Amino acid sequence: MAEMTLLQAINAALFEQMRKDPTVVVFGEDAGFEGGVFRVTKGLQQEFRVDRVFDTPISEAAIMGSAIGMAINGLKPVAEMQFEGFMFNGFNQIAVHMGRMRNRSRGKYTVPMVLRMPWGGGIRALEHHSEAVESFIAHIPGIKIVIPSTPYDAKGLMAAAIQDPDPVVFFEPKKIYRAFKQEVPETEYIVPIGKARMVETGKDITVVAWGSMVREVQTAIKSLEKDNISLELIDLRTIVPMDTETIVNSVKKTGRLLVVHEAVRTLGFATEIITRVIEKAFLNLEAPPTRLTGFDIAVPLPRGEHHHMVDPKRIAYEIKQLVNYKV
Amino acid sequence: MYEFKFADIGEGIHEGQILKWLVKVGDSVKDGNSLVVVETDKVNADLPSPVSGTIVKLGAKVGETIHVGDTLVWIDESGTATVATEVVPEVKKPEAKPVAMALSEGKEDNPAGVVGSIEVSDELIAASTEMVTTDQIDVAQTKVLATPVARKMAADLGVDITKIKGSGESGRIMKEDIIKAADTKKVAPTSVASAPVIAMPSFNEQEVTRVKITKLRKAVVNAMSVANAIIPMTTLMDEFDVSALVKLREAQKDAVKLQGVKLTYLPFVAKAITMALREYPIFNSSYDHEKEEIVFKSHINLGIAVDTNDGLIVPNIKDADGKTILELAKAIDNLAEQSRARTLKLEDLQNGSFTITNYGAFGMKFGTPVIKHPEVAILGVGGIYKKPIVDSAGAIVVADMLPLSLTIDHRIIDGADGGRFLLRLKQYLSDPASLLLRLK
Amino acid sequence: MIISKYDPLKQEQFQVLDSEGNVVNPKFEPKIDDETLLHMYKTMSLARVADIKALQYQRQGRMLTYAPVQGQEAAQVGAMAALEPQDWLSPAFREFAAMLYRGVTLEQLYLYWYGNEIGSKFADGVNVLPVNVPIGSQIGHASGLAHASKVLKKNQVAVTYIGDGGTSHGEFYEAMNFAAVFDSPMITIIQNNQYAISTPRHKATRAKTLAQKAIAFGIPGIQVDGNDVLAMYTITKEAAQRARNGEGPTLIEAYTYRMGPHTTSDDPTIYRQDEEVEKWRLKDPIKRFRIYLTNKKLWSDKQEEELQKELEEYVTETFKKVENSDNPTIDDVFDYTFVNNPSDLIEQKEKYMKYLKQSFLHSLKETSKANKNLKED
Repeated sequence: MAEMTLLQAINAALFEQMRKDPTVVVFGEDAGFEGGVFRVTKGLQQEFRVDRVFDTPISEAAIMGSAIGMAINGLKPVAEMQFEGFMFNGFNQIAVHMGRMRNRSRGKYTVPMVLRMPWGGGIRALEHHSEAVESFIAHIPGIKIVIPSTPYDAKGLMAAAIQDPDPVVFFEPKKIYRAFKQEVPETEYIVPIGKARMVETGKDITVVAWGSMVREVQTAIKSLEKDNISLELIDLRTIVPMDTETIVNSVKKTGRLLVVHEAVRTLGFATEIITRVIEKAFLNLEAPPTRLTGFDIAVPLPRGEHHHMVDPKRIAYEIKQLVNYKV
Repeated sequence: MYEFKFADIGEGIHEGQILKWLVKVGDSVKDGNSLVVVETDKVNADLPSPVSGTIVKLGAKVGETIHVGDTLVWIDESGTATVATEVVPEVKKPEAKPVAMALSEGKEDNPAGVVGSIEVSDELIAASTEMVTTDQIDVAQTKVLATPVARKMAADLGVDITKIKGSGESGRIMKEDIIKAADTKKVAPTSVASAPVIAMPSFNEQEVTRVKITKLRKAVVNAMSVANAIIPMTTLMDEFDVSALVKLREAQKDAVKLQGVKLTYLPFVAKAITMALREYPIFNSSYDHEKEEIVFKSHINLGIAVDTNDGLIVPNIKDADGKTILELAKAIDNLAEQSRARTLKLEDLQNGSFTITNYGAFGMKFGTPVIKHPEVAILGVGGIYKKPIVDSAGAIVVADMLPLSLTIDHRIIDGADGGRFLLRLKQYLSDPASLLLRLK
Repeated sequence: MIISKYDPLKQEQFQVLDSEGNVVNPKFEPKIDDETLLHMYKTMSLARVADIKALQYQRQGRMLTYAPVQGQEAAQVGAMAALEPQDWLSPAFREFAAMLYRGVTLEQLYLYWYGNEIGSKFADGVNVLPVNVPIGSQIGHASGLAHASKVLKKNQVAVTYIGDGGTSHGEFYEAMNFAAVFDSPMITIIQNNQYAISTPRHKATRAKTLAQKAIAFGIPGIQVDGNDVLAMYTITKEAAQRARNGEGPTLIEAYTYRMGPHTTSDDPTIYRQDEEVEKWRLKDPIKRFRIYLTNKKLWSDKQEEELQKELEEYVTETFKKVENSDNPTIDDVFDYTFVNNPSDLIEQKEKYMKYLKQSFLHSLKETSKANKNLKED
């Protein structure tokens, strides 16, 4: 056991999997020598040498394309996009090839790769360094997506992602990279992809969140202690394939649903969650399923970012509104 | 005095060691001059002064450790040429999220990040209790099954949906289940919701024309049916000499007209009624047949029946006893106008406690007006007319007669009380002076 | 044409002024009037002071992330000085000095780096696009700006910048190729400052120079001493002339050095040696330009002293102003999404404002529990 931050947990997982499997390679812009701009891949090149851990030229399209080719031909690439805002340059490869190769070749060629990138806002950065972009990729068939919110989950999910025969996009909530530590086993363990995590159990309302928002919801819950609300908090962890069963069962119990995400509202992932809940738990609903999200605007630069980021006060407010909704 | 605190310089550093001081106490420094070199894990950071002034105190010695947030140096800014007295080292943050000032373990990586600033903290969160989700959730603990529409219907009908047995699949509560539950909840004749149901005989449709009734008419149908079904009514009638009142009115009406008030007899009648109601409060009450209680109202909200094109509306004058006769005249006028223009507010129609219906405007004398449930009395006012009567001296004179018809709820008001009330009205209206003497 | 005389394939680099301020190529010394020369020098100096102070402010916790430009002032100002007022600049994110020269105010630049979009609302007539973060996309924009200018006969040249690392990007190739096909009046200046964050120049491409990539596009390319403001001026002037004559784009590689870190959150000591940095410090662009001007009797030590004092005050005052400026309002944050926001977006904004109001009133109530006369709107 060791106390690790989210970032250290990912780093530990990479070391562990690279030692176990010699076909795992790690690369990206500045990811080799200096270990990435956030130091997630730090130390890997020193141990595994430049053949397996290397810096690339600045070209997301080439990084993506090469990763796909490497994966087809026997390597297990863990490719990095330096920031989620830059993945769009490689989006052609993501949209058109990454999830499709298996289907296109009826299983002859597959892409067992991991695409990792820092994700989400709240770090007061320049443009394009604060986006939550899971919806763009969720709409592409054949690609799995995970977003851990704790160090324990990060290590287990990274191990799972690397071992997964399908392509996995691993979003790393940069806001909480180093914001707290947790006890993490130093031996190998897997957190299954496709399983949500029950953070709190309750019966009045179900709250679903992921990434940096989980901690914000927990802060909101603390502020509601005297309001006597019995709350069920689900950390989604995997966007695709979504753990519909856990969420639906929870709503069947509580009758009320609040989804919290930092991404833009329209077609943000709450849309999918709420639709599935309505499809499968319509008769159990006591109040309209609600989403608390970013607005349909470009993420503001730091001076205005606070207007866009969902904060614990707003979360607490929405929870109270929903719990008090008269049948 | 300016305190220069060791800020997070963006390298994820939360503490450092003083390597070298470049100034000493008493030195004069300018905004931008380097003050100290601080050694951190990766970088020796050269920290420049944010203000100009004189060094008053150093916050740590060479070799000592300082943490983010500690004061590095105290600078006295007075007496310097450049302005800069209120320079705040922290950026004006929209949301105060300071960088954690926790102790570092020394082996922390340099997280850089290239852009932005991420929060760095040693806060320890609870260990993972990887819960296998399907086992631990009580799947069976589902609440009531019903569509949103059904739920709303239950709420509207005041039915507790959790107590209904559902006839749908998996025990789902259907609309008809709710309606049935609502029906059994109703207590038969005393329920105010709707009129008793009796089958209509059929007509030869060729010989009739059907016209759908308006909403207003429907309300009247309901009100009349309900009152008749619930209240045993009886009407006491009387007419009396109001010549003195007529003279009074004739004398006053022109002067009053200049003030925009149309002075009819109704305001006098209204005033007399409010005074009589204060004396005989039972006429201003309701009878709660469920609790078997007489509910005395503290406000006298006098309803005035108004005839409009679409039908009868009864708005009321709130606290009519607090108004002068002129004010009553104005209020009556306003209500009539608003009724016809349909600009009344809902509250005008609610909470009436006693009603006057003035069919005298059509020349009628006596009638048997229907009480407006849940009130317990109603006064019908006929038209003043000239009639030969025998006066106190025994002579035949022509007098102005005012016919009144008082319908009472015979469950709680007896004929004797009704008679006394009517007598009081007669007293006030036939002798206006007696009204004056009691005016508050 | 000077450009054709310096073959990048032979690694021939064009220089007019050497590191010591001597005119080593008098044949090509540009004829610039005194006023412009001084304006160039002052702008470079302003950029230097503002840049250093921005780094200081960041260390003091008063400024957020900032991308320093120290050492690259000549590569930027030299080129900008050769343009006409109506010409366009499509910058990446390290063109602080270029933007200053083109009419963007220091206040606006600081406001942008301070995190307020209002810093990108330049004045009328200032044909500069906002700072562009996604690498390479600014080249496509320049190509378009140039294309429109040609079609609409605006006589504008579009100049764009990219870094050495950026030339690995697909958009660089695609946009340059595209512009060349249309003979669009544009100039692409590669600021080869030897590093892309931690990645050294030789790891970005196998080509020995970046200028030679022009050959693939079918256009002229030249490598210039990026720290030589006169050389930058001369070549840019020629490229602009070519563009205006309808001869299409030119690729200029400004060979320079990034004296500071990639951004204020980067630590260059990890991936490069101090000796290298010191070597380049001797080639400082401002130093040699100052010697040149002094030799021409256009500048003196006294003037230098005064200028530094002036700049110090100006930069300090400007930053203080920015520090005390207002944050964007809720209107600012929402109202620039569409020309007229659709009803669902307006609804989101109103709901949010309502929430803020009630949460403000709620906290007001909490803090004035004793005051029974509290009235709520």
